[in-house]
Amino acid sequence: MGADGGTCTSACPQMFASRAAHGRVNGTTAIPWRSSRRKPTLLEQLKGSECAWCPAAPWEREGARAALCGTPAGSFLVVRDSTTSVPSLLCVSAGGDNNEAVIDYCIKSTGTVFQLSESRLSFSDLAQLVLFYSLTRDVLAFCLSIPLWMYGVTEKTRDLSQLEPETWLCSPPDQQTDEMTQREPSNVMCSIQLTSTNGALCIINPLYLREHGDDWLTNRTTSAQSATQSPTNFRKERRLSSTRAWAGAGLLSKRAISMEQDSAAITETSGLTRALSADSPHCPTTTSETSAGVVLRRPSRDAASSPAPYRVSSGSLTPSTPSTPGGSNRASLELPPHGSPVPLSPHRVSWVEDGVWLPLPRPSSRLHPPSLELDSLSISSIEEEQEYQIPSPAPHHQSAHRLADKVIHRLSAVGQALGGLVSQKKRLTNRVQELSERKGSAFAEAVKGFVEMTLKKAGDHGGVTGSEFLQEVRSSLSSLRETLLDYPDILALLDSITDLNDSEIDSLVELSLHKVALKPVSAHLYSCIHTSRTNDGSFDRLQSNMSVLEKNGVEELGGSGGVGVPDSLTLERIQQRWTSMHEAYSPNKKVHILLKVCKSIYHSMSANASSGTAFGADDFLPCLTWVLLRSDVVTLHLDTDYMMELLDPTQLQGEGGYYLTTLYASLYYISSFRPRLAARQLSVEAQNSLNQWHRRRTLHCNQSRRSRNRRTIRRQACRDRGSQNSETDTERREERSGGDGESFDNDEEETQQQTEPEALQPLDVETHTPSDCNQRDEITSKQEERQMMCGEEDHR
Amino acid sequence: MALRELKVCLLGDTGVGKSSIVWRFVEDSFDPNINPTIGASFMTKTVQYQNELHKFLIWDTAGQERFRALAPMYYRGSAAAIIVYDITKEESFTTLKNWVKELRQHGPPNIVVAIAGNKCDLSDAREVLEKDAKDYADSIHAIFVETSAKNAININEVFIEISKRIPLAESAGGTSGKAFKLGRQASESRRTCC
Repeated sequence: MGADGGTCTSACPQMFASRAAHGRVNGTTAIPWRSSRRKPTLLEQLKGSECAWCPAAPWEREGARAALCGTPAGSFLVVRDSTTSVPSLLCVSAGGDNNEAVIDYCIKSTGTVFQLSESRLSFSDLAQLVLFYSLTRDVLAFCLSIPLWMYGVTEKTRDLSQLEPETWLCSPPDQQTDEMTQREPSNVMCSIQLTSTNGALCIINPLYLREHGDDWLTNRTTSAQSATQSPTNFRKERRLSSTRAWAGAGLLSKRAISMEQDSAAITETSGLTRALSADSPHCPTTTSETSAGVVLRRPSRDAASSPAPYRVSSGSLTPSTPSTPGGSNRASLELPPHGSPVPLSPHRVSWVEDGVWLPLPRPSSRLHPPSLELDSLSISSIEEEQEYQIPSPAPHHQSAHRLADKVIHRLSAVGQALGGLVSQKKRLTNRVQELSERKGSAFAEAVKGFVEMTLKKAGDHGGVTGSEFLQEVRSSLSSLRETLLDYPDILALLDSITDLNDSEIDSLVELSLHKVALKPVSAHLYSCIHTSRTNDGSFDRLQSNMSVLEKNGVEELGGSGGVGVPDSLTLERIQQRWTSMHEAYSPNKKVHILLKVCKSIYHSMSANASSGTAFGADDFLPCLTWVLLRSDVVTLHLDTDYMMELLDPTQLQGEGGYYLTTLYASLYYISSFRPRLAARQLSVEAQNSLNQWHRRRTLHCNQSRRSRNRRTIRRQACRDRGSQNSETDTERREERSGGDGESFDNDEEETQQQTEPEALQPLDVETHTPSDCNQRDEITSKQEERQMMCGEEDHR
Repeated sequence: MALRELKVCLLGDTGVGKSSIVWRFVEDSFDPNINPTIGASFMTKTVQYQNELHKFLIWDTAGQERFRALAPMYYRGSAAAIIVYDITKEESFTTLKNWVKELRQHGPPNIVVAIAGNKCDLSDAREVLEKDAKDYADSIHAIFVETSAKNAININEVFIEISKRIPLAESAGGTSGKAFKLGRQASESRRTCC
């Protein structure tokens, strides 16, 4: 396994979802871009031997306890319910000889997931649960111990499906030692994500732990022992204590790129679903080398023989508690009470990951303790801070130097996670850039053609409106992406990115495309929109209504009493954000910034409100309008048009889409504001605007439709490389609901062939539906006008 | 298990408790490990229905009369609309009827309509009889429940009923064309998990 270089990824919900979508191979969820292994993974082996550690019907609790009695701590069996034969009990040996020495944990299974009833982590199958708890103790008193001979099993040597529980529990001594020596992992990186009770999250670089120990995570007991406290220590502590009880506490993982975290959807019902990497068999074998820090609260492998193996004390990290400096941790040994299944620490190892996705580990001297101040692990948020906090540091940042320091901390804290992500992103971006510059390549030609054509066109020629022009640009972008994905090396590069889900990969592609295609034309697009909006009078209306409305307070704009508005400081910050939103050329990035603005507006809204008040759209729209009346609406209007038309349309349904709609609606409200008597005209304009809206959505359907077919192909291609497995498709349309600046789901990736037979149909639809809709809208617009008028009259 | 995203639009007069209903619906699913949305105007929650997961993307709208013309931007592409009125305000029920009319004319075809009479904890001040509302809902084949966001009455039920009425997902592949014609394509993205 070691030879494989440990290419495991962690499993975060997104990953889980996307993997699962690829169908099952050998009972595990397969990752299509992985080549097949020489050896079955530990997870596969566990699945194969399930009949041994989770025997079928006639096996009861007492039997399991008896069998476990006297076995090394961590040995385990799963007992099925006698009537339903659903796995119901996890019996874990505590290493003693009497009956007390076996601890039972209830397994809850709700439909498709399994979880220990004390834990919120759930798993899609039992083997994953077992594997997880063999890596990390979580709520258990002991890590599960998987018999060592399992690691050496190859399909030839043993038929796992024939195992009996007794065989399972015994470890042939010869094999054991044998395997011990063989299993020197060549390259193991585990990142551990700790989630503390207040919801803050940190990802710990294992190298740091290896270097400095993990005592800084420990508790009062340990600190009591460290009577002398060094200043460094104190500083460290301060950092820990600055952990924010961050409202929403939504940090999920390094992949929590999305502010909305759509793709975590599945987990919302079942609590936390964390799938374990299917390929992490060498993780449990890492002890000799990496136990120095990687394994928290877990007995080292030789724990079985020596009874007090806890390296890390369990206990609570209270913010005010000083911690011991890194280094010796023997003093902090503390055995958790056996049989206590409750988590002993607010820090909880949510998942363990290993993988070598950071090409070159940083030198350990540069590793810093993780900062717990992360409020977002998204790359973009870091980029953004660099982007506009450094030039104009907010008052609470004492100096730029300090800030830079913080950024470094962040980066190192997120360590492997971001490092990997950033480098992957860079590689892709660079590659795409290269391709776009390579003479004679189809992609370079296509990009060149696109840029030239776009620059030649003005937005306002031949009756084409600005919106229509932008819609053309959007579909050109989509076909550029198709061209790009025809390149085998790009596909290979994408396939090598193992730690992102498909929509994130799509997002990377989209972002890299924006750089080569959109960046050169964005200024021109802006001037086209500007011309078009000037000509249609939008700007005039906006500006003249601004003067009418700007004196209105938020209540006059429709907000309820008690709703707060941003203070001048926040307003200033919002203006800065609007500026960076305007400067960004990628619509994805722009939406991301928009969400930040909206978030701070919410914050101001509830600043003075009694806690627990949830302000909905009734108040948000007036507040946003209030903010817009104090902003550069003309520029915002340009940006809104730009985002609306160029954002991957599949995004329009989610959080990003919602707030973009609201921004659009609010601007629309301002520009169409009329004294009541002129309401009729408002309706006509509303109708035009809605026609555009509809057209946009209609166009998008066709695109995403086609892309689905494409997706099937990419999937197919991947699968062909690995196993000839079947079924795919559509399911990748996850995370439709953009919501964030980064994880954009971009559908149009594809290769040409397979679409052709089906191409006629979408075309057909394409030609009919928009016009149908428009027609319908035109016909009904008169009625609607009337109806709207009536509606108003009804209420007056 | 297939996951479907269902866009749900909330309509109704200001002050009838639209966002409280959603808040109530979403709050018990609060999990610090799941990124929440940035505010209460847009919230999501995933529930299991039979062998599907339904992820509700809930779009709140501003209920003030002055914003009424903006509503189509929000209800476009919705799989369902929840129209909320306040049982203690007759007027909000009239508004509701107007929304129903507008949705029928301009809303997505086959949109599932749910009518929620909120504040049923204030039955002393009731102005809209439950029977009247129920009869009206039946006449337009809408889901009807009286809810109390305050006391968490019937909140989940609204969404369960919506799940029931959402047409079953067709087998993969065949979906898109049809969904497209329904004008609901974007609201029914699917994927599997597990």
